[in-house]
Amino acid sequence: MSAFFGPLDSDGRVPARQQTRVASFLISAHGALARRFALSLPLRLESAWQTELNAQFYNESETVSLLLRATSWMPDLAVGYLATAWETAWFPTPAEGIPDQSLALGVDLATLAHAVHSGIRPAALLPVEANADDPFAMALRRVEFESGRLLQAQIMFLKGENLVPFRDAVSTALERRHAEVRKLWREMLESIDISTDENGVKS
Amino acid sequence: MPFLSHGSYRIRYELDGPADAPAYVLVNGLTQYAELWAAYRDALIARGFRVATFDLLGQGESDKPALFISQDDQVTALHLLIQELGNGPVFLSGISFGGLIALRYAIAHGDRLSGLVPMSCFAELPPQLFLLGNALRTGLILGGTSYLQDLLLPMNVSDHWLAPVLDKLDSVKRQGWLVNDVYALQNLMESFLDFEPLTPQLAAIGMPTMILNGEFDFLTPRALHETLRVQILNSSLVIIPRAYHAFTLEKPALTADLLARFADDVMTGRWQGSKSVWIAPEEAGGELTPFPAGYDHLRAIPVKGEIA
Repeated sequence: MSAFFGPLDSDGRVPARQQTRVASFLISAHGALARRFALSLPLRLESAWQTELNAQFYNESETVSLLLRATSWMPDLAVGYLATAWETAWFPTPAEGIPDQSLALGVDLATLAHAVHSGIRPAALLPVEANADDPFAMALRRVEFESGRLLQAQIMFLKGENLVPFRDAVSTALERRHAEVRKLWREMLESIDISTDENGVKS
Repeated sequence: MPFLSHGSYRIRYELDGPADAPAYVLVNGLTQYAELWAAYRDALIARGFRVATFDLLGQGESDKPALFISQDDQVTALHLLIQELGNGPVFLSGISFGGLIALRYAIAHGDRLSGLVPMSCFAELPPQLFLLGNALRTGLILGGTSYLQDLLLPMNVSDHWLAPVLDKLDSVKRQGWLVNDVYALQNLMESFLDFEPLTPQLAAIGMPTMILNGEFDFLTPRALHETLRVQILNSSLVIIPRAYHAFTLEKPALTADLLARFADDVMTGRWQGSKSVWIAPEEAGGELTPFPAGYDHLRAIPVKGEIA
């Protein structure tokens, strides 16, 4: 089992089986975030911070669109039941210890987005010899780069003044989401012969 | 690979060399990982030391707390590691951020150390370093780990080191990019948001202390090391010729030799700190020379002045 995609084909492209499984996972996760941001987005923005909801919604949608078009898909029967487990994991789970339910749901969405944007690093799966001009490789680099930028909204919210009284609850919810997302990501990668340690670290 | 436990977090560490030998503990800087000390492990073991390395919380293969990483937690992780070393002599050295953690440890647990070597280090955040740190953090946020590496590389090493690798920088940066995550580096950098200067506490450091500073280090320049030299009673400042901030990467043979000689001097009673200022040799094994009497070591041009 390798820590990276492969074996690459003669043009340096990732095998279609690995592309299909990884893209399916990413579309599931970012698609769930897009749906939840869309539901959080009012028709008319009333506060300045809501502009970020709009940006997050469209960026998540762009990620889904990009992966749909950049991936070399192949039939994969396992994706059906895997996607069921993934989609179940993205369900809203109000953060415990925060009495205000709308705030607890907001924290849950932010923790899920934080875990997906920071814990999932698809470009780090590309071996050095991967074809830099391949659309799938470029898409993974773009998803990882944009995730790092989208993450900043979650960091600012979760570290913000409003949540200082609930810092322990927020940290617990975030660590739980990270562990959950990492586990699903790691198991999916192992199913296509890619190994990572518990932190997703490669060496 | 072994791990220490601090609460729910795991800290990856490595011990090499004979268990009954005096130990050197080496602490990473920002974006670094334990393997970068490989040359030091070999050199120090060959000189009769045991070597302890680890990944700071938030870096390498240690756990990466999701939202906050406090510098106190880093000191606790270091304390756990040093407890693994038994009762023999322990010498502690750290570079940059790791040097700051080493300083904090020396202030809190100085009685456990036989010697301290802060490298490219600081006890305060004066405006230039504060603004540079902010700019590096913004660079990380806007451009990711790779961009942070791009900013750090020309500060860290010389043209002499960079020139031969200029056309393969991606491979130079790759391992650091792989093992570091944006959010974790950001948490490490944001551990400075409530930073209080350590200067008033430096006098509590009583053990022999050799402060190493690159001649051309403009990220943590001489004045920051001067604070350490003036405040730490049993110290000396050693200037590494033609070196920048990360001279540990560029001059491992020379730096490892200085570390070993310092520990040998301490253990044989030859060490005399006395807040003296020295110039390191160009190569390992060469002689240290006293900074020329009557000249100001804080200046880049030869200006006559009193040493504090």
